[in-house]
Amino acid sequence: MCGIVGYLVKADATCALGGPLLAMLGALALRGPDSAGVAVWGRATAGLKVRVKTSAGLIGFEAPSGEPGELALQIEAREPGAEVVSMGRRLEIVKQVGRPEDLEMAFGVSGLTGTHGLGHTRLSTESRIDLSHSQPFWARGTPDLAVVHNGHITNYHRLRRLYEQDGTRFYTENDSEIIGIYLARQLGEGASLEEAMESSVKELDGSFSYLAATADTFGFAKDPFCLKPLLVGEDAVAIAVANEEVALHAALSSPYTAREAGAGAVTAWKVGPGSEWPAAPGPCLP
Amino acid sequence: MTVVDCAGLTVREINQALRRLIDAGEREITVRHPAARHNLAVAILRDVSISIEGPVGYYCGGMSDGAHIEIHGSTGWGVAEGLLSGTVVVDGHAGNAAAASIRGGEVVVRGDAAARAGVAMKGGLLVIGGSAGYMTGFMMQRGIIVICGDAAEGIADSMYEGVVYIGGVIAEPGSDTVVSDASAEEHTEIGATLTRHGLKGPDTFRKIVSGRKLWNYHRSERELWKTAF
Repeated sequence: MCGIVGYLVKADATCALGGPLLAMLGALALRGPDSAGVAVWGRATAGLKVRVKTSAGLIGFEAPSGEPGELALQIEAREPGAEVVSMGRRLEIVKQVGRPEDLEMAFGVSGLTGTHGLGHTRLSTESRIDLSHSQPFWARGTPDLAVVHNGHITNYHRLRRLYEQDGTRFYTENDSEIIGIYLARQLGEGASLEEAMESSVKELDGSFSYLAATADTFGFAKDPFCLKPLLVGEDAVAIAVANEEVALHAALSSPYTAREAGAGAVTAWKVGPGSEWPAAPGPCLP
Repeated sequence: MTVVDCAGLTVREINQALRRLIDAGEREITVRHPAARHNLAVAILRDVSISIEGPVGYYCGGMSDGAHIEIHGSTGWGVAEGLLSGTVVVDGHAGNAAAASIRGGEVVVRGDAAARAGVAMKGGLLVIGGSAGYMTGFMMQRGIIVICGDAAEGIADSMYEGVVYIGGVIAEPGSDTVVSDASAEEHTEIGATLTRHGLKGPDTFRKIVSGRKLWNYHRSERELWKTAF
């Protein structure tokens, strides 16, 4: 199970995102009651937006720019048990144990704005239920890259052993974590996010649908056997992706189009300057 | 015509409302605001006409016997799964496993059908007005599938019996299939079927049947089995 959602406003502008994301997650709450979270790509800051899990809960602040991997380690060294859950000039992740509706009370998700966002509601099947194992996952060390996943990556242990040999540190026992690490490695070798996602469909085994996004790209990938659901819907304002249509229905205005993605499908949309969208449609903020 | 408005009702309440109306003798029912919810109009065992105005989730019309269900919107996985008789028409696209394991009746998807449509069919007819996804007709045992558009990889893989007709491009036939041209008589039958459901297909169809080599294991055909697996 697990519910995954994505929402991309068809505009090169910052728009209201939290409401649609929350509505989509709420519609999928039965797919995952254990934890919930959203990732939103908002206005760019001069420094790096950081969200850290601490003993006081999930806190956010802006840090001066630095090498993200090193900066995360420095922040985590300040308090035992601290864990950076997101970092980027535009990315912010909020997540917690509990159902999607609890997110609103804790973080005021409905007020979040941005160009695109992801959401996840988790049914734990193979690892702990805590904030660290909740999604979305930030791809550590790569600013602004985050992933949400439904399914199982069955060659996770083999890939993890391989990556650990060259020093990659894993923060969870959750197989979904490997997707962000895989994509980050591909980006580090010069691939675009879409190229990285296309190779992931060949190199990751198992049944999976996942969504991934950076500051300038938003996309989805589906396993080659089409074992996990994933639908893409579109109306005049936005593109929405989710693993049940009930979530698309909660976010899009009728009439909208919706269709199941094909086996091994990868689709990515450009966001921001260079995208095909107009600069400021009606529903967005000035 | 009687209306069931799904707004504010649980799935159980919607299905109970349908059953109450049918038991009271209603034979034409419209369902409004389905909001893509799962398991609507399942196990309808009477000769009744149900029109659903909007998208539905998983298993709509499943296990029904004798009803005519028309969905004006897209469907999730397993629409009409286990249908015994009657018709289920999707005026839109269908998710995975449309008409899975049907034993009879007719399922019509006017748009595209996603992966494994008609998987394990044991009879009946599945018509797809658009294109068919990965492994459509996988392990079908009986029945007929008509695809007006293209067929993705693995079409009719490991089928036991039955026939699949494809009007568009076959990306890659499944294991143990035999592809040939449909005969003039078969084209006439396909044309009549499409006309009956208000569809227009291409002029010519290819035909896929089982090669029957996977029916029984024989050591000399080990490579064939390795490929199939």
